[in-house]
Amino acid sequence: MLRNYLLTALRNIRRNASFSAINIAGLALGMTCSILILLWVQHEKSIDGFHENSDRLFQVYERQYHDGQIDAGYFTPGQLGEEMRKVLPAVEYGTNLAWEDKLTFQAGDKIIKQSGNHAGEDFFKMFSYPLIAGTPATALNSPVSIAISRKMANDFFGSPAKAMGQTLRFENRKDLKVTAVFENITDLSSIKFDYLINWQTFLENNQWAKDWGNNGPRTVIMLRKGTNPRTFEASIKKFLDGYNKEQSKKFYIEMGMQPYSETYLNSRFENGKMSGGRIEYARLFSLVAVFILVIACINFMNLTTARSVKRSREIGIRKVIGARRISLVGQFIGEAMVIATFAFILGFILVFLLLPAFNSITGKEIHIPVTDSAFWLCIVLLVVFTGFFSGSYPAFVLSAFQPVKVLKGTMKFSNKSILFRKGLVIFQFMLSVILIIGTIVVSKQVGYLQHRNLGYDRENVIYIPLEGVLPEKFPLFKEEILKQPGIAGVTRISGTITDISNGTGGVEWEGKDPNSMPMFTQAGVGYEFVKTMNLQLKAGRDFNKDFATDSSAYIINEAALKIMKLKNPVGSPITFWQNKGTIIGVLKDFHFQSLHEPIRPIIIRLMEKNGWGTALVRTKPGQTKQALAGIGEVCRTINPQFPFSYQFSDEEYQKLYKSEQVVDKLANCFAMLAIFISCLGLLGLAIFATLQRTKEIGIRKVLGASITSLFTMISKEFMLLVLIAFFVAAPLAWFALDNWLQQFAYRTEISAWIFLLAGFAAMFIALATVSYQAIKAALTNPVKSLKTE
Amino acid sequence: MIALQHISKWVTNGGLRTFLLKDINLQIEEGEFVSIMGPSGSGKSTLLNVIGMLDDADEGEYNFLGQSIHTMKEKQRSQLYKAHIGFVFQAYHLIDELTVYENIETPLLYQDTKSAERKAMVGDMLDRFNIVGKKDLFPNQLSGGQQQLVGIARSLIASPKLLLADEPTGNLNSKQGEEIMDLFKQLNEEDGVTIIQVTHSEKNAAYGNRIINLLDGRIEHPR
Repeated sequence: MLRNYLLTALRNIRRNASFSAINIAGLALGMTCSILILLWVQHEKSIDGFHENSDRLFQVYERQYHDGQIDAGYFTPGQLGEEMRKVLPAVEYGTNLAWEDKLTFQAGDKIIKQSGNHAGEDFFKMFSYPLIAGTPATALNSPVSIAISRKMANDFFGSPAKAMGQTLRFENRKDLKVTAVFENITDLSSIKFDYLINWQTFLENNQWAKDWGNNGPRTVIMLRKGTNPRTFEASIKKFLDGYNKEQSKKFYIEMGMQPYSETYLNSRFENGKMSGGRIEYARLFSLVAVFILVIACINFMNLTTARSVKRSREIGIRKVIGARRISLVGQFIGEAMVIATFAFILGFILVFLLLPAFNSITGKEIHIPVTDSAFWLCIVLLVVFTGFFSGSYPAFVLSAFQPVKVLKGTMKFSNKSILFRKGLVIFQFMLSVILIIGTIVVSKQVGYLQHRNLGYDRENVIYIPLEGVLPEKFPLFKEEILKQPGIAGVTRISGTITDISNGTGGVEWEGKDPNSMPMFTQAGVGYEFVKTMNLQLKAGRDFNKDFATDSSAYIINEAALKIMKLKNPVGSPITFWQNKGTIIGVLKDFHFQSLHEPIRPIIIRLMEKNGWGTALVRTKPGQTKQALAGIGEVCRTINPQFPFSYQFSDEEYQKLYKSEQVVDKLANCFAMLAIFISCLGLLGLAIFATLQRTKEIGIRKVLGASITSLFTMISKEFMLLVLIAFFVAAPLAWFALDNWLQQFAYRTEISAWIFLLAGFAAMFIALATVSYQAIKAALTNPVKSLKTE
Repeated sequence: MIALQHISKWVTNGGLRTFLLKDINLQIEEGEFVSIMGPSGSGKSTLLNVIGMLDDADEGEYNFLGQSIHTMKEKQRSQLYKAHIGFVFQAYHLIDELTVYENIETPLLYQDTKSAERKAMVGDMLDRFNIVGKKDLFPNQLSGGQQQLVGIARSLIASPKLLLADEPTGNLNSKQGEEIMDLFKQLNEEDGVTIIQVTHSEKNAAYGNRIINLLDGRIEHPR
């Protein structure tokens, strides 16, 4: 019996090659999409899951309570990790982590910049980063320890084995000893590093981090086996009270923790509570995968039922010679399974071919996990689901045919089943229109992020890290650079201007409410900062070396002024971290963080002589190349121990929106695919409709209908379906996208033209699809179509 | 074998009943070869379909092999006709995607006959109809007469007691038609298969041993 079905299925596929091709292609594309998204989501979910102690690793976070709001984040005091391990018996290991930093190393005459991090000595005991040389216990156990990756070991010493015990000069300041070599970090780790330096070194270079009132580094702890995370978390809520004595009613801190493996996907806090993060994209794209698969399955249903006019005779015969309905249902579902399997094979080949492109869009290194049985189980489920889902409707419709009518040729589809099929097309196009609108809005928002006026000129600005002797020789450095061609100005800043996020409550002014402690963002900059960055002053002036008093001068922004409520801000006294000073200028608001964030109050002080920071060099438009050559020359002369490195401001700015750009690109691809698959379905339906109406069209032609009127008659019906789909889709899309845009403090509008564009696009594409069939039918010689009766 | 009493079938169109069959009383014994004749639209095919249980009558009683069909459930009925009735159609109605062999085999699949048994039965049938050489061909590779031969072979594979043929020679030329009719006669006489055929042709009707004339849904009794 099975063989009989299989044979019929295969022969049917072969006999109706073009029809089968449409069917299989649609399903294959749908499956390709689903598999790619499945792989991507799976990859996202598996990030940081490879640590053996995963269930005992927790990241500690702070909740800062002030002014009736709660700011939460992974920033903690710089010695929290080690302290927790020392005083809390339930904590087996603890480490602090800093941030990824590109720093300079030297061995012999090799000077190379590498990017990496600092971590405590427990790091390799907690995390499962495989060591090629060295042991977890000794990898970072001395103040001069450094663990490096296989790549860095190869870069400096030729091989991991040769690297062990060697000396690496760090920032031309301290000699470190290689105590371990670890395997290169894969994309399954959320933190990336080619070196890890013992935490002591970090504290030496960052004295502020020893102060329990400051925070910034991350803290990860590993609990002892059998510790209940929940009760433990409750017990550390007030842990900082014993260390940070600056807390009060108006500002206090509570601690919380989160499983480390979840921090990659869930890292956003909203008023002190976890509120998603990347997980939302994983969910969103899972939904898109289901959408596309459903569209493809609906296609299949439509095409199969449409073709059933031809199949009906076979069904009739089978019934007359004794087939029960159930065995016919089985046959059609089986056939769908066969087609789904073909589609899968084709889809899998496509996945294989598209994976490199997909990886370059998503910035991942996804492989097909051929050895993973869970993956194959998912695939089998996918094929079975697709086959069953897409085969079920045709199976039940077709098997219900009455043999007498079918064999006599008097069978007509009931209005109900035609309505249902139309409903399917509407549903398909509804999903497609939602995806089109989504794509347009996402693109528009990404464009908006890229082109929004930030309040300063981010074009033609080069960042140069101040390292080695550059901080102390900054005046000379500045002077030399200004002599080079193509330079418009030089200043400096403590971080980078695209992302200033150091918060502080340590600002006092006359008339400040004693019960409130608003948070200010703070930055230290050089002379002529305002002028160099093309910032707009609302009142007052820039930092200037002609004013000796500027070491105690401060510039604030409008947002800060709003909080401080000063009548005449310029000249008003202000105290910052116990240093008394004066406000010399008020800046118009500008964006110094990603546009996800609102513009916060900022206080800017003069730090011309700071030991670290970034030089900001403005080049004249169109002269970047010459300018860079000149700057490079200056750097190499003044600071020969360090390789010259630089970044472009606008590239750094783009990095803030990496995930949005990925989403934009993916959404584009998937929307196009969805439309394409829907059109395949529409094509099938058009073929069916014209087939059914051959006779009617013939009669109309004999009676004198023009080709145009016939074309209109056939197309109109489909256009109506797309129109209905559009009206269902529009509000749904609006709702979903409005929701998505909420995460941006600054966002584009969902304007009416987007909907109109999406609607017209869908209509146009649908019309183009249908018109071939419509024209063909309209042109057919009526003698031919009527003779068949 | 077959007893129809007061069988009527109608369609209602705009409140008006149009009778397809009206008050049919008919008795057919085992071993008979009956020809149903009548002009187009007289209800021949409808009557055949009612007898073949493909269609229901709206009124009246139908007994088949002593069982009353009109009170039976769909499932029992299909069980019954699967076991006892074979159909032959004017348009042959072979499954295009299956070979001659597979077409003949299909009814057995639906009756869950075992594989070895199936093979033997289909083999016998191919032999008997002299179409062994054609068993791997598809219907569209055969002439009309050969296709009808396969159709008949298929209808007989489950050894039915009753063979219903709806204008079996309608699509054939006269020579092919004669062969088919000879075959029917032989089946009827040698194998004892009861045959009811619908036909337009007096000549073919004469092969049977009884002729029923239908007009406007009624049996015309010979005067």
